[in-house]
Amino acid sequence: MLGDEDQAKDIVQETMVTIWQKLKKIKTAEVYKTWIYRIVVNKCYDEMRKKKRNPEFVTDDHSWELISNKISEGPSATLENTETSKIIRILTEKLSTKQKAVFVLSDLEGMSNDEVSEITGISKSAVKANLYHARKSISEKVEKYL
Amino acid sequence: MEPHNEKYKKVLNLLRNSKPVLDSTEDIEIEVIKRIKENDRPGFNLLNAIDFLFGWVYIGWVRRTLITASIALVLVFVFQQGVILKRIEILSKQTIVPVMENVTTPTAEIEKLLVTYKNSGRRFPSKTITISEREMKELLESVKELQLKYKDLEDIIEGDPDIKRLIEKKLNENNHAKINL
Repeated sequence: MLGDEDQAKDIVQETMVTIWQKLKKIKTAEVYKTWIYRIVVNKCYDEMRKKKRNPEFVTDDHSWELISNKISEGPSATLENTETSKIIRILTEKLSTKQKAVFVLSDLEGMSNDEVSEITGISKSAVKANLYHARKSISEKVEKYL
Repeated sequence: MEPHNEKYKKVLNLLRNSKPVLDSTEDIEIEVIKRIKENDRPGFNLLNAIDFLFGWVYIGWVRRTLITASIALVLVFVFQQGVILKRIEILSKQTIVPVMENVTTPTAEIEKLLVTYKNSGRRFPSKTITISEREMKELLESVKELQLKYKDLEDIIEGDPDIKRLIEKKLNENNHAKINL
């Protein structure tokens, strides 16, 4: 979601600390997963808001070439951590924070709209709308560059 | 909305297959434990402070009353201090010009001037009047100045018997008291 491995590590650390501090508040195990996701997403929001003030545009031909090569390798092709983060960054750089979160949770993590709505704190219809716009934007980019 | 193009699906599939893996979990673990320990260090806590101050009172309502009373006292104290500070601030902004209206203890200078005045043969009137120090000083200064001028005049008159005679004659004519020259 952040497209930066170091920042992702920081978020993991912060999330672990927050979980430790607020663990007593969790009463049932069912909500545990959603709760952790919510913490992560909120922390990512904060980071992304900070980033928004100093946006970095990372689109380059090399990244698109990499995607093209990997796709041609077949459905079992995989990427390195840095490659994955770079590709997510170039795909989602024009998306809003919410659209990015919804795209990552829905399309990459495979969550349902209900789960995404609960984690992000936005309504189900807003989730659908954000997902629609995110997919549209990414599809256009993919069509244009691949 | 279903992804409507194949390329999108392929990219998505590639990303799903390549979920990022944390490669330095041990470092993260160490860092997390360190931060948790730092956060768990006992810092200043209001509840701990209250417990420390009133922990010796075992009866619940007495303890609560004491806590309430102490909080009220602290608030009153803070309010009072605030009022005092505000008052001090207002007073410090005001210009204070000290003016001594009445002569209570004559200064050495005035005392000297008074001695000079007395030595010159003048006497204070018996009636008691109250004048300011500044007025007194001005008065004595003018008397002193007058005395100096008068002395010059006396010298001139003494030096010329004709003028002395003429003045005495004129004064007698006007029924004035004779001036002791």
